[in-house]
Amino acid sequence: MIHPASIEAPLPKGVTDFLPEKAGKIGYIEGKIRRVFELWGFRRIITPLLEFYDVMAMGMGEDLKEKAFRFDDRQTGRLLAIPPDITPQVARIVATRMHGYPLPHRICYNGRVLRHAEIQSGRSREIFQAGVELIGLDSPEADAEMVAMAVEVLKGLGFDDFKVDIGQVEFFRGIMASSGLAAPARNVLQDAIRKKDASAVRSILEREPIADAVKNEISALPRLFGGREVLAEAGRFVTNDRSKKALDNISQVLDILDIYGVADYLTIDLGEIRGLDYHTGLTFEGFVGGLGEPVCSGGRYDDLTAKYGFPAPATGFAFNILALLSALDRRPDVEASKTRDFLLFNLKDDRREVLEIAQCLRARGFSTARDIIRRDYDNSLAYAKRMNILRMMIIGGDYCADDEVYIVRVADNKGITIKKADLFRDDFTLDIDP
Amino acid sequence: MTDFITIAIPKGRILQESVDLFRKIGIDCQELLSDTRKLIFENPSQKMRYMIVRATDVPTYVEYGCADLGIVGKDTLLEQEKDLYEPLDLKFGYCRLMVAEPAELSRDDDPASWSNIRIATKYPNITERYFAGKGVQVEIIKLYGSIELAPLVGLSERIVDLVSTGETLRQNGLVEVESIAEITTRLIVNRASLKTKYKRITEIIEGLEKHV
Repeated sequence: MIHPASIEAPLPKGVTDFLPEKAGKIGYIEGKIRRVFELWGFRRIITPLLEFYDVMAMGMGEDLKEKAFRFDDRQTGRLLAIPPDITPQVARIVATRMHGYPLPHRICYNGRVLRHAEIQSGRSREIFQAGVELIGLDSPEADAEMVAMAVEVLKGLGFDDFKVDIGQVEFFRGIMASSGLAAPARNVLQDAIRKKDASAVRSILEREPIADAVKNEISALPRLFGGREVLAEAGRFVTNDRSKKALDNISQVLDILDIYGVADYLTIDLGEIRGLDYHTGLTFEGFVGGLGEPVCSGGRYDDLTAKYGFPAPATGFAFNILALLSALDRRPDVEASKTRDFLLFNLKDDRREVLEIAQCLRARGFSTARDIIRRDYDNSLAYAKRMNILRMMIIGGDYCADDEVYIVRVADNKGITIKKADLFRDDFTLDIDP
Repeated sequence: MTDFITIAIPKGRILQESVDLFRKIGIDCQELLSDTRKLIFENPSQKMRYMIVRATDVPTYVEYGCADLGIVGKDTLLEQEKDLYEPLDLKFGYCRLMVAEPAELSRDDDPASWSNIRIATKYPNITERYFAGKGVQVEIIKLYGSIELAPLVGLSERIVDLVSTGETLRQNGLVEVESIAEITTRLIVNRASLKTKYKRITEIIEGLEKHV
């Protein structure tokens, strides 16, 4: 017999097989998020895993286009893409399939996207997303709804040490558009601002023949982060209308978020320009302590559905499930999601009784599996332990009287006996647990 | 541990200057200079933690959030291009990243006519980007130390390396031909840390800024 591991069956870089323990945890996290989405009145749609590249490209900026996996369609000869982002798909679906519906649309999705990763980084190319899109509203209330939902999900997942960081792409664009800087200078500046590299920003500006007031505006960007006081600080020196409007917009959204009672979880960063190309207004990212990458991100995208022939203001965001998983992996409730309740170990020749007990336990909501393989007590217990099953129930044998079953807790081998008749009683409870 | 601030600092010459700088803003980490093999130090009263790591590993620890802050040369940041904040130039550790070649080659060498050249370096990514930007094709040989040796024994014609005084180049008969970047030591910050601990981190950044 060939040992399975000796057959070469590698995976491409950046994708992962998720075994039952991890997959169970992912399902648990997704379930909690979906529940919040539903409670806020969002309805799920399912987007296809393949699209024509040119159709997807209508709704993607250069950064996303470059990250899309592309190949030929044998049937049509056209270029196909595996979506690198679900939001453009939702925009297409809303514009072409749902334009007859009344607005606003409250849509949620749960899916996977593929993106080419940077060379040599071991990062995943497959991204598990759960997100929402709120389409047809341009009011600050819609932006606030997104942020409040993000906070609710993060609280519901048990985080206390987290922040949702709010930006506004129009603030930065307003300063750049009124600066009189040429495109090459803007690009290097953008890169330095992204890194909050204040000294690089200053040295780039030294070479540029622009007014000192503009230089002051730009060189302040790397430090314009913190609490709400940042807005007042920015308001003191910014002169162009576009940026002022952006500041007003953030204020309005924050006022509504105060009513939601989430102000403590918010930070503001006016120098944050990481949004995707299609963002047009308020953007945000969620950060949890100790994890380098954001766990959620999103923002306003008022021009996207128009690319598919249906102009409508919109906002939305998505959670990165694998980032959440790495932050939550060890939490007791997440750990618990990989466990099962019972393994039934039958020592009788007749299987009638064990099948009846199994059905009874399942009807009461206990997850129950039978150890059908014939092996001894110790090996069955070892199996239960390896499979994260909490308890083993022994039917037959001389572990207990004939009218009883023996239940052993896998973690510490602590056992109790229970009358079979009691198992079938309506008020049956299990008191083996501390 | 989440209310601690963790700083990743490389061993070597940056360590001494970092400890001196932090002392100026009231952060005491003298312990790092003691002769010990410990890699992690804690100062519970100041809620600070320090990790001693290799210079090239500093951005990694910070990117993944194992450290909130890091101190590292701009050369390492340029080479690795991680998604980090670099809010402060600490100004020490100044040197230049150069293209150098043997003096006799440089006598009638014209950099404008370079094509298909072979370069030995510790910085393959920076080298590739720099020459791609000039439209020059390069064969890059990655080395881990004593880069100046490569042209002397014919491994490559030229090198890309850090130069501070230029003494090593001179002693090995090499001369600088082109300057790629000026390098100083930077304070780097993890993205999530800047958001979740922004008050303490801003204090540190603003404090240090007064002393650089």
